[in-house]
Amino acid sequence: MSFRLSRRATLGAALAAPVIWGRDAVAQIRAGDELTVGVWGGMQERILREFVATPLEQQHGVKINFVLGGTTDRRARAYAERGRPSFDIVYLNIFESRQAVKDGVTQPVTDNVPNAAHLYPVAKLGGYGVAFNPVTIVYDKRKVAPMMSWRDFWRDDLKGKIIWPSYPGAQGTAALLMAAKVWGGSENNIDPAFTHIAALKPFAAIQASQDQLYAMFDQEVGAASVEFGSFTRVYAETRNPNIVIAEPSEGQAVATNVACITTGTTKQALADAWVNLHLSPACQRAYAERIYYSPTVNNVDLPPDLAAKLVVGPAAVDKLVDFDWDVVIRNQARWSNRFTREIAG
Amino acid sequence: MFRQGGGPLGALPYTLWLLAAFAAPLGAVLLMSLQDSTEPFAPLSLIPAFTQYGELLGDAFYWRTFLNTLVLGAGVTLASAVLAYPVALWLTRLPARWRPLGFACVLVPLLTNVVVRSLGIILLLSPTGVLAQAIMAFGLPRPSLLFGWFAVGLSLVQVFMPYLVLALYDVLDGQDARLAEAANGLGAGPAMTFWRVTLPLSLQGLRAGLTVVFLLASTAYVSATLVGGRKVYVSAMVVYREGLENLNYPLASALAVLMMAASILVTVLLSRAIWRFTPWLSQARARAPLVVPRALVAVMEAIGPWTGRLLLALGLFLLLFPLLLVAVASVNDTPQATMAQFRGFTWKWYGLIWANERYLGDAWTSVKLAAAAVAVSLVISLPAAFALVRGGFRGRHGLGAALMLPLALPGIAIGLGMLKLLQWFTVIPPFLGMLAVHVVLVAPFTLAMLRASVAALDRAQEEAAGGLGAPPVRVFLRIVLPQLAPGVFVAALLGFLISFGEVTVSAFLTTARLQTLPVRIYAEAAFSLENTVNAISTLTILLTVALLLVVNRFVALDRVWKR
Repeated sequence: MSFRLSRRATLGAALAAPVIWGRDAVAQIRAGDELTVGVWGGMQERILREFVATPLEQQHGVKINFVLGGTTDRRARAYAERGRPSFDIVYLNIFESRQAVKDGVTQPVTDNVPNAAHLYPVAKLGGYGVAFNPVTIVYDKRKVAPMMSWRDFWRDDLKGKIIWPSYPGAQGTAALLMAAKVWGGSENNIDPAFTHIAALKPFAAIQASQDQLYAMFDQEVGAASVEFGSFTRVYAETRNPNIVIAEPSEGQAVATNVACITTGTTKQALADAWVNLHLSPACQRAYAERIYYSPTVNNVDLPPDLAAKLVVGPAAVDKLVDFDWDVVIRNQARWSNRFTREIAG
Repeated sequence: MFRQGGGPLGALPYTLWLLAAFAAPLGAVLLMSLQDSTEPFAPLSLIPAFTQYGELLGDAFYWRTFLNTLVLGAGVTLASAVLAYPVALWLTRLPARWRPLGFACVLVPLLTNVVVRSLGIILLLSPTGVLAQAIMAFGLPRPSLLFGWFAVGLSLVQVFMPYLVLALYDVLDGQDARLAEAANGLGAGPAMTFWRVTLPLSLQGLRAGLTVVFLLASTAYVSATLVGGRKVYVSAMVVYREGLENLNYPLASALAVLMMAASILVTVLLSRAIWRFTPWLSQARARAPLVVPRALVAVMEAIGPWTGRLLLALGLFLLLFPLLLVAVASVNDTPQATMAQFRGFTWKWYGLIWANERYLGDAWTSVKLAAAAVAVSLVISLPAAFALVRGGFRGRHGLGAALMLPLALPGIAIGLGMLKLLQWFTVIPPFLGMLAVHVVLVAPFTLAMLRASVAALDRAQEEAAGGLGAPPVRVFLRIVLPQLAPGVFVAALLGFLISFGEVTVSAFLTTARLQTLPVRIYAEAAFSLENTVNAISTLTILLTVALLLVVNRFVALDRVWKR
């Protein structure tokens, strides 16, 4: 046994040595390097091109490749390629990013990204949080009375008008965990959530994405749901002024977009530089102004009228409801099965 | 090669391609389905365990989902067939000059992306929509049509009906017009002519169409996600959920394998059933046809033509509705592609396509890929079609079903298999790798179509040419190929559109250097679809019409000598 251990240790050291010697070679950005970034499309891609990709390309003569898509596909791919990634950076959600660090798929936060010093503590776990994008109650004010609490979903006047978010997914996860919280449960005691949500049936519909929810609001299929405040604010301001983004007394559920550098990337320095620019005040301000994403760093100045629509400052960040994401991710498959059987379907 | 009694040799290139590009992901899926541990990083075990199958078969939820999916597939297939006949007949009766436009009508749903198409279904079925209003005008209560099975079925019929129309078009167009005249002269009205002459003679095309539509409808999941509102669960959705969301590859793979088994079974049963009803092809003893009572004949003749017209109107409406929607949306002054209200007129979305060179680059990639995939598919499918139709070897039905396998394995499962093979896959040049997989996806369609066309060939002409001393190559070039031209054209067109619009598998193979246009559109849809998409769809449809008009000048879309 001891022989085996020592042999494995020797082997490990032998394998690790070239990596350490080679460190110097990858610790600098070289012209002609290519960085592959997996991220959501649309406005986010455009902001990143403007504030991160173009400056890097001009300054260092590198090339940035975008691979656009949803979190699920990107995550599955990063897991399949653990250790030999074709992506240098993948953008994930809060719970996926923390699990990915634990699984050795992506790297934890390091000091090589100077702007990370300004991150709020909650945005530093499992990669670099680049935006707070809290999840909250949204409703049509023509159809239901104002909603002040997560418990308001169980009011009589909402019967049959609720569009519940599907689980898993940031919205469905937040809805499930907040239901547990307000009915005496927690992520460790999820039963109260399932029994109470099942009692809300029949639902007007189940929504699987914000775009689908907005189509449902347009067609007046239902009147209340759980969704990202940011996108819904854009929707309410440009398309449907009847939709209200609630500030429930129990708080909004935290959700973050996280930049995760893959384990085994060969472009470490360039990846660090990318994240550093993403956390720069200019990029964070563009996020806030264009899509109502709240900054995850504490050194951004925003005009008061904009700040009022966002989560800004340590007090506001502290008020976001956080959960034990390890427990959440460990139970995801089980809860997902229960969701399809007891709530959807 | 195309003579009577050929062996299975013609099917060899096709089979080899499948072995090279399809067997690997399929093998990965099979191996994963036999794993015991569901941990994402568990070492691969070579000792087969049936844990996952036990899990699936012992759970009523999976049974229900599985059976619901098969019923949905069957319903969609049947409805598509009922709507496709009138449309296909209408197409064959159009004057040659108008035919390209007729084709364009049929292809509209295939050229419109699924996000926008789904919006059409939502508008049509919404509680305040046209259909609900019509039902309420009869004094009935407000129906709940949206976000349920009906909506999913309707959206699938809309996009899969074109496949059936095209499959039927070729065999219907190939029918001898004198047969209908003869039936008429013998006293049959239009309804009986259809029932006794047109329908039986088109059964080979129907088989191709039914197979394709059933396989597609029972493995589709994007529409179910978009208009089913997550109250509808189909098998492929569960594969996606287990495989990608929960990273439980073994369970997802086992379900994919079961889906494939069911699909193969249905394909074989369909093939046998149709064979039974076409005794003149199998040289079996013909049975006496069913006798239809005189009273029923009168009723059929009375309502037949009207039913036909009604179904034609319904079919065309369903086909053309997305075009109206897309064209209007493409000039709507709103940033979101899926906005129902009209806000004002603008051309700016068309301008933005040209401003965005990435769209153009991706579109060019898609065009090259689709063209290459179609060329390869035709070259390998044509000999395979001859082997399957004319080869007298045993196990022909089995081989026919095996060659359709890629259609039966849900696209999401091919993606899953590819995911496991990614590291090996990166060694292959991206374009070649993508091409290999696209051929696997396209070839079953071209094979299904060409099989029907080959079966419909007039062999008397070949024999006459041979008897007059023409060598086989010449017979092929001068007699066989011209007769096949419309079938080849339709197969190529369809193959091109399938490759051009493919997302599920391509999304897994997309790398930074190789991205297709649909993959980009879906990536943007995950966030918020921009209205440029509608401008692109409108342009694609116009381009297709133009292309069809040009093609029609060089290749006859119909068989003039039949008239």
